[in-house]
Amino acid sequence: MTSPRATASIAADRAAGALFRVLLVGTVIFLLLPIVVSVFLSFDDREYLGAFPPKNFSLRWYRGFLDNPAYLDGLKNSIKLALVATLVSTAAGSTAAFVLSEARWRGRGFIEMLFLSPKFVPTVVIGFSILGFAAAINVFDPFTRLVMGHIVITIPFTVRATLASLVGMRRSLTEAAISLGAPPWRAFLDVTLPLARTGVIAGALMAFALSFDEVAVSLFLSDAFTQTLPIALVAEMRANLNLTVAAVSTVFAAVTILVVVLLDRLTGLDTVIGQGLYR
Amino acid sequence: MPTTTLRWALLAPGLAIIAALLVAPIGFMVVQSFHPFVAGRVGSGSGWTLTNYAELIGPAYAFYFYDTFRIGFIVSALAVALGAPLAWTAARTRRRPLRVALLGLLIGLLFMSLVAKLYAIQMTWGSTGPLAFFGTLIGIPARSAQYAEVQVMIGLLHFVLPVAALILIGTFQNINPRLEEAAASLGAERARVALDVTIPLALPGLVSAFMIAFAMCISNFVVPLVLGRGVVLFTTNLMYTRLTEIANYPSGAAIGIVMLVLAGAIVCTMTLIASRLTPGARP
Repeated sequence: MTSPRATASIAADRAAGALFRVLLVGTVIFLLLPIVVSVFLSFDDREYLGAFPPKNFSLRWYRGFLDNPAYLDGLKNSIKLALVATLVSTAAGSTAAFVLSEARWRGRGFIEMLFLSPKFVPTVVIGFSILGFAAAINVFDPFTRLVMGHIVITIPFTVRATLASLVGMRRSLTEAAISLGAPPWRAFLDVTLPLARTGVIAGALMAFALSFDEVAVSLFLSDAFTQTLPIALVAEMRANLNLTVAAVSTVFAAVTILVVVLLDRLTGLDTVIGQGLYR
Repeated sequence: MPTTTLRWALLAPGLAIIAALLVAPIGFMVVQSFHPFVAGRVGSGSGWTLTNYAELIGPAYAFYFYDTFRIGFIVSALAVALGAPLAWTAARTRRRPLRVALLGLLIGLLFMSLVAKLYAIQMTWGSTGPLAFFGTLIGIPARSAQYAEVQVMIGLLHFVLPVAALILIGTFQNINPRLEEAAASLGAERARVALDVTIPLALPGLVSAFMIAFAMCISNFVVPLVLGRGVVLFTTNLMYTRLTEIANYPSGAAIGIVMLVLAGAIVCTMTLIASRLTPGARP
């Protein structure tokens, strides 16, 4: 026997559950739909930007990308820039992280904060300040300026990723090696370094991805002759909407899916996020 | 254990980078922001002035700050409201494939190029896109100027929602599910459990997710640049146009310093609020 009040509360409970599910599914659709639409449009055979969905499919926009020297130049610059910036910030960032992972010493907290601080500075401020500063010290080469900007925005990520892998590592392992007679440098090379490898690689990957996609810093520091791919794409999107960008977006999306699947296979997405206290 | 000398030697390259590429340029910018602007001259004039800051208080500029904050506030609130159900489901579901799919979606969106995402949004919500009818639905047709603001909000939401949701997954995972179960077994409906148990316990996480989303929104540059169609300009865009259109470095520098101070204030407030709200943190 259920009283009318209980029936009403069950109905309210059902309604709340349904609302929750609608919100959840709606959010997932909101996040996914644009990407699906642009993947479809990238295979559109029409020469102009028409209504969705396209009727005939072709690879013309992919060919269009390969035929456009501005994009290819941008791609070349972006890869070169991301490689140089990643190399420098990984080398400097992970060596610093090794020291920062050491037990407490005076000033440790302050120096760690210093290394992570570029993350909290708006990227426009970084681009703007380096542009003025580079001119003041007579650096006018756009590629040098871009490298300067990209190193500073990527270094917090390499420091943090290496630090995370070292903090999780048991210090006793290094100490065991030393107590067994290994000189400290030997213990570092044979024990600490291999264990920190995933952190260093993860940091380098993040740095590369960040640098490759950066717009704000690059827009301030590049010039008309040295463009990066994202800058060329943004310029194209602002001038005329053309489906070449859809083709590039599709390639980006494919690479992203690949990275996520790889990440899941290598470490498991659960490990990346962490399982929390109660699982 | 490395000696002090070795320690500093290992820190030196990184510290040199921070000093040369962050501290020195920002210091330079601070100095420049107090120099007067001389029209037609690259760089700044000599002498000291507060004009660059004073003009920001005027209504013309204050409006940019107001717009940036207003849009950032709405988007961050939406990001937390929509991110929470997603995060709660990923944290609590017993179906592993669902959890992995949601995590994969969020991490994938985080990794995916922002330029590519903005383009996709323009294709989908723009005037030729399949969702353009949404504008007509809310009384702002896709071809109107105000629709640019709607698109900027959609773009920013797409950018910050995965971040907010990932922060909230951590929050929900660290709330003991037994507490929710206890409330339910005592007869509380699901909405009651959410309002009286889950949300109060998750408050520090909800606040920090909001603050991080807010900081990301107001310092964003690309979204209004691409989707704003010149109608919606954030303070970041203002800084850029000060430089490219009238080569006024001192004025741009002043805007940058104000943004930097605001970003710092947000980080401090966030730490303060989060520590206040953490259950058990107060005696």
